[in-house]
Amino acid sequence: MTGGQEAALPPRRLSTSEHGEGPYVWRFSRLDRALHLMVIVSFYALLVTGIPLLFAHSSWAQSAIRMLGGVETAGLIHRLGAILTFTYLFLHLGAVLLGAIRAPDRRSYFLGPNSMVPNAKDWQDLKQMFRYFRGKAEMPLFDRFSYMEKFEYWGVFWGVAIMGVSGLLMWFPEFFAQFLPGWGFNVATILHGREALLALGVIFTIHFYNVNLRPEKWPIDVVIFTGRATVEYMKEEHPLEYERLVAEGRLADRIAPPTPESSYRGWALLGFAALAIGMFLVLFVVVAALA
Amino acid sequence: MRPPIVVAALVVMMCQASVAWAQEDAAECEKCHEDRRFLTGKTETREQDQALFITRDMLLQSAHEELTCASCHDQHAGGYPHVTDSIASQCGDCHEAEQDDWVRSVHAENYSSTGDAADCVTCHSAHSVYSRDDDRSPTYDLNVAGLCAGCHADSTIVGTYFSAEKDSLAAASVALYHETVHGTHVTDAGLEVSATCADCHGPHRTLPADSLASTLHSDSIATTCGSCHEDVLALYAGAAHGTASNAGVGDEHDRDPPNCIDCHTAHGIVEAHEPNWFRHTVEECGECHERLYQTYLGTYHGKVTELGGELVAKCSDCHTAHDMRPATDSLSSVHASNVVATCATCHEDANESFADYYVHGDPMNRAEYPLLFWPWVIVTAYVVGALALFNVHTGMWLWRNMRQAIRQRREQLS
Repeated sequence: MTGGQEAALPPRRLSTSEHGEGPYVWRFSRLDRALHLMVIVSFYALLVTGIPLLFAHSSWAQSAIRMLGGVETAGLIHRLGAILTFTYLFLHLGAVLLGAIRAPDRRSYFLGPNSMVPNAKDWQDLKQMFRYFRGKAEMPLFDRFSYMEKFEYWGVFWGVAIMGVSGLLMWFPEFFAQFLPGWGFNVATILHGREALLALGVIFTIHFYNVNLRPEKWPIDVVIFTGRATVEYMKEEHPLEYERLVAEGRLADRIAPPTPESSYRGWALLGFAALAIGMFLVLFVVVAALA
Repeated sequence: MRPPIVVAALVVMMCQASVAWAQEDAAECEKCHEDRRFLTGKTETREQDQALFITRDMLLQSAHEELTCASCHDQHAGGYPHVTDSIASQCGDCHEAEQDDWVRSVHAENYSSTGDAADCVTCHSAHSVYSRDDDRSPTYDLNVAGLCAGCHADSTIVGTYFSAEKDSLAAASVALYHETVHGTHVTDAGLEVSATCADCHGPHRTLPADSLASTLHSDSIATTCGSCHEDVLALYAGAAHGTASNAGVGDEHDRDPPNCIDCHTAHGIVEAHEPNWFRHTVEECGECHERLYQTYLGTYHGKVTELGGELVAKCSDCHTAHDMRPATDSLSSVHASNVVATCATCHEDANESFADYYVHGDPMNRAEYPLLFWPWVIVTAYVVGALALFNVHTGMWLWRNMRQAIRQRREQLS
């Protein structure tokens, strides 16, 4: 790495993916970033319209729905959010299927270090992490995806499955009543509302802690939006992947141009806005639940 | 027996004499009352002077064309023919039933105590009296509201008679009436059949609603409204609320069953599709049916309703608006034999399984809804458990980071 490339790095960007020694390395593909954006948009569309419905009695909910343009509009936004959710689900499943078909080594596609499938190392990392929490070990070194990222990835699958099925039951009750007893819709309602709170809790206590609030990431990490991060970031967050790229001589293929200032600002703003709305929603749920 | 010719002749003569006398009497009155110059200054104000200007034509064109001055002003012999007491007893000579009613009204009561309540001439006028079918009459259907408003929208009168807390609704009633369905149908649509004041309050025996004899009393209000809304009355009277009302049955808190105005209000009556009112009726039902109201609010229907949704089912969408009956009644819209059809009014393809949905399901009521209670317990435990478990990870990490930060700070300081 030359000094010139280091100087090209903007000095004081907030995002940790922009910190330290360059050059930039691609981490996420265009599709990955688009899918994550779809997850954000649908998740927030569903939450801002669904959480007020769950706490309909609260005055917060009523003002929120008025601001959204009424409960019918909110209902429409919620259903559009559902459609977007199914869209990203099937886009991703399609991409995985296509990737599997094209993969030269199908076994390593599903079980290799670039896969989301949990493996023995993830279990070891988890145990080491708890020792790290107690100050008895170093933090484990992660490959392309840490066990936390895999956990959240499968969490989205789990959530989409539960919310998707229970949501469709409530969306088309006349159709599903051909196969289900009436109380099934009551249970679907309970499940949909409770699982929503779980999703809210996981995203705002675990995901945001992992990607925004912990000291290593504070105050924000926009790598999922810009798709690229500095070498220093890679060495710190995904050292095994970085070493593998270097060892296999593939780092050069992954070198990315620096993030343009204008797009960086937009993504950072989006990240902070998402964090702010999220905290607001958590506050809303706490206030409504206590009232 | 044929009457002797003398008697017959006498009768004829007396009649002629009385007509002649009457005409003479009227002519006598005209001398002064058709002479504006004479009347000027006879009273304190020009208006009062003007009120004394009474022509024979007024009478001839009125419904009282066959009467003469003396028909009402029979104290002529005793001096000035001017009535100081209520004219009601005079009018009652012919209009016996109306006088009888008025005497028992709140107007008569106030008239005798203060002298400034409505009597016959206040509403019918003194000389230009027209039939209520005549659009010149203040008592013509489309004029009644304005006539009553003359006093009931007058701040002095409202302040005197309706200042008590319990009368706050009465004080606002005229304005409210004009804004809502009966009033706008009169003023905007000119619909004669729309209810005006007298249709509900009774034109003569007008009494406050807490008076047993009032047309507005809770025992009578359904009949009063039903005099126009006949089909609604028939449904209401045959269904749960109407039969309980007729039987004089209250609930465990001794509350009377609802009648028309409990849901529709008295003066602020709006059309049934008006969303704010519709939402209000849900709360109104909930005043007595507390548990059903709470469980309704726990469901999708109730939550969307709370957020102002108009498309989802409200109480009356399933239970009907007037023909509500317990689910055990085979005529009920929610009886097992009818419930699928009731659901199908909104959910076209509803089947029996669909209708088995617990519309008032309460997951926390284990005894009645075990099928909801256990899933509720399990799902709640799963969510709370999962969040707690995952947050052990976040919490321990946070704890470690905080300890490290504190340690570094100490090292910097030392």
